[in-house]
This record gives sequence, C-alpha cells and structure tokens, in this order.
Amino acid sequence: MRTVIIGAGQAGRRCAEALRELDAEAGILLLGEEAHPPYDRPPLSKAVLLGTDPGKGLFVRAAEFYAERRIDLRLGTRVAAIHPAARAVETAAGERIGWDHLVLATGARARRLRIPGAEDPRVLTLRTLEDAEALKARLAARPRLAVVGGGLIGLEVAASARQLGCAVSVLEAADRLMARCVPPAISARCAALHRGHGVDLHLSCALRAIEPAPDGGLLLIGDGARIAADLVVAGIGGVPETALAEAAGIAVQDGILTDAQGRTSIPGIFAAGEVARFPHPFWGGRPMRLEAWQVAQTQPAAVARAILGMDAPPDEVPWHWTDQFGWNLQVLGDPDPSLTLVQRAEGEHRLTAIALDTAGRARGAVLINNGRDATPCRRLIAGGKVLDAAALADAGTPLRSFL
Amino acid sequence: MADWHRVAAEAELKPETPLGIRIGDVQVAVVRLADGIFAINDVCTHEFALLSEGFCEDGKLECPLHQACFDIRTGRALSEPAEMDVATYPTKVENGAVFVQV
Repeated sequence: MRTVIIGAGQAGRRCAEALRELDAEAGILLLGEEAHPPYDRPPLSKAVLLGTDPGKGLFVRAAEFYAERRIDLRLGTRVAAIHPAARAVETAAGERIGWDHLVLATGARARRLRIPGAEDPRVLTLRTLEDAEALKARLAARPRLAVVGGGLIGLEVAASARQLGCAVSVLEAADRLMARCVPPAISARCAALHRGHGVDLHLSCALRAIEPAPDGGLLLIGDGARIAADLVVAGIGGVPETALAEAAGIAVQDGILTDAQGRTSIPGIFAAGEVARFPHPFWGGRPMRLEAWQVAQTQPAAVARAILGMDAPPDEVPWHWTDQFGWNLQVLGDPDPSLTLVQRAEGEHRLTAIALDTAGRARGAVLINNGRDATPCRRLIAGGKVLDAAALADAGTPLRSFL
Repeated sequence: MADWHRVAAEAELKPETPLGIRIGDVQVAVVRLADGIFAINDVCTHEFALLSEGFCEDGKLECPLHQACFDIRTGRALSEPAEMDVATYPTKVENGAVFVQV
C-alpha cells in the first residue's frame, strides 16, 4: 500500500513519520514544492530574523532521517493535478504517480494586502524560509518598518525588527492586539510591552493605501494616521492552499472539509494540518481550521491512524504560543473575551490568567512567562471541575491544589 | 576532570521544586525527589528553554515552552518534541550542603 503526501512541511512530515512508526511496510512518498527538507515555521519570525540558533526548532529532522525511515522525500516537486478516479497525482513535470491513499498537507499561503500600492516590491509577507531570509537581509539596513496586522506573526516580526535596531510601526485594524486569541487584559499588557520597547502602535487603524513618499520611502495611509516607512510587512493571516483539492472535486470551505480524522469528501483522500477544516471536539464538534504548530504536529498523526484503519488518538486542549521581546506567551483552550478572566499575577512579568465560564469551569488560559502552569491549566480545562474564582485568584496557592 | 560545586543548602531544596543554577558555562537543574537529589542539564534539547522553569511531577520535568518531558533521574527525553536526552550530573550531600559534579 502506498501513501502519497502532497506538501513537505511540518504536517506532511508528521504524517509520514506517524505512518512509518505504525506500519513498517507502508510505502510513503512525500512530495514538497519547496527546495528544503521539511521545517517548522515558528522560528522564521524570531530566531531566523534575529540570526540566533533555532536549535531543533527549524529543521527538526536531519536530511538523512527520511532515507533511514524509508520515507521517499522528493523536493522541488509541484503537483499539478489530482485524479481521484485513477488514484494518481500528476506533477508539473508531467509524471503520474499512483497512490492507495492520498494526503493533502498543502498548508496555507500568506494573505496579501488588497489595497492601492500593495504591489510595491517593498511590501513583503512571511511564510517560507526564503521569505524570512529575504526579510532578514532587508532589515540589516535598518529600514523604518511598518507592520500591517497586530496578530502573532506581525507582532513577532515587529519585536524582532525592533531588536535589530529598526524603527517599527504596527497598524492594527481592531482596537486591540491579538484580538483573535487573547482577552482584552492580555492585549493591553502586550501593547504596553511593545510601546515600552519603542514600537509605534496604531490601533483601530485600517490601512487604506500605500503611496510613494517624496523622500523615496513609502507612506501608509491609515484611518487617522499617515505612517512613513521604507519597508512593509503584512501579517494579516493565511489563506489555505485548496486549489488542487477544489480542482479534484473535493469539498472545500475555507479549508478542505474533513471528519475528525482528516477524511475528505472523496474516499482514500485525506487532509492534514492547517489546510484541513475539521470538527473540533473542544468546540463541540464545530468545524475549525487552526493555523497552529500543535495542529500540524498532532492532527497528521490522527490522519496516519485513519489510513491504517485505527481509531483517533485522545483529544487535546488547543494550544499555541508566541515569543515577543523575550516574553513567552502561551494560550490554552479558548480564553474567549466573554468569559470571566481570573488573573494570577506573579510580579510584573509573570502571569497566569484563567478564563472561567458562568458555571466556574476553566475554558481557557493565557500564560505570560509562566510555562510551568501549562500542564495544570491544561488539566483544569480538560477536567471541567467547577472552580472558585476568588480562591483561584490567589497566586500564592499553587495551581495543582485546584486539580 | 569534573569538579564538585556547592549549589544549595540541603534545607533550601524543596521536593519537586527545581533549582536552576549556572556552573561555569553549564546550566543545571537540581531537583529533590523522594529517593534523592538529582541534577540534569537545564537546557531543553529541542529549542532553548530552561527546564527548571517548567512543571515538575512524578520524577519528570517538563519544558516550559513546548512541554517536552525529561526523566529527572536518567535525563531521558520522554516525549515530543524533544528527542535527545539531557546530560545528568552526580550529586552528593555533605554537611547539609548539596554538591553537583560538573
């Protein structure tokens, strides 16, 4: 039996690894469009820009790992079409490759600005290692950088550029930072962090146009602000790479629609990682498409199990993190702004904030420089125990005593 | 030849409460468990993070960044995303003080 995996990023790699771990005989072909062996993307906006050692965080596996595991890794290979009836894919070079199971791990691409002036070559996005290296090279000249989007990627780029000595502005259309993933109290702390490091933050500032400036630079025309810059990075989210799936007649809706184990609408074809929109148990089975390291790490292993006729692994509490200006911020579960936020501050730079629903059950948490609380928080969220908000607010009482 | 270094008074070391300490260029996490005091390299083998800032339970220390787990007694990497073990160092208690050999 042969499985062909399209996309040699983190999700494709994890699917291949899991297949090999579970089945010594499986034929595994991993097709990557990029020139590099699989790498994880979180270091791109941090270690790679800063020129610091990403450790095992970038290339998790050595190049020889794939041959050792009998994973046939083919790089620089673009798939042009999927032929579901013939159970084959066709590469851009015209080669036809047959499969018994097909996994789409095509990921996402950076969303581009669609405003006048966005086509200027000084307007960049960050998705690939090449993008990161090109941005790093430009930052070396210490340009005035304008970051469009106050989400995770935008703020990480802003922090890295500031640390490299660039003057940095951030434009965010919403009235607070990271509005999609943290409650307002945390957004306020992050805004203070960035302002404290000299980042020029513009909230409630939708970008309307980018114009050439008389000094040879660029002028960003936002709501209520005109910002001068030499370089622009748009960090405004990702667009799932679904074109191949759509052309093959696979059901797609802002992501490839799958069941909990990655089965698409066509038998034998699966989707893995951030391209997949799957019913998430944490949100009562609501179809979710999550752009997070955790999803690319664990969901492809569930796909591998489905391919081999095995059941799904246990549910996980959703988790993601960001590093900005030496701060590590972790988000667990869903700390929705509508919930009651209990803050356990330990000094100015260390915080665990737990979001309780109306019954007093933990639904989400945000940790600032407090990773040791991740496991207790995860257990509180998974356990569903009713908690006393006043007692929980006392940072002197260890979290494990609430388990 | 590795030397013995005094790292703490024995009474300061609370159970399952890691002490992160730097000895020359080496960062060490020292942990008291039920069966003794153990020392492992404090730096996660996945990405840079100090294990002594992580959650400690059942003889395991968890990286505060990505939750990779290490066995405090053996240094073994127990879970993804870490694959490589961390080094272990001998410890001893003398005259109420804890020493680590690095």
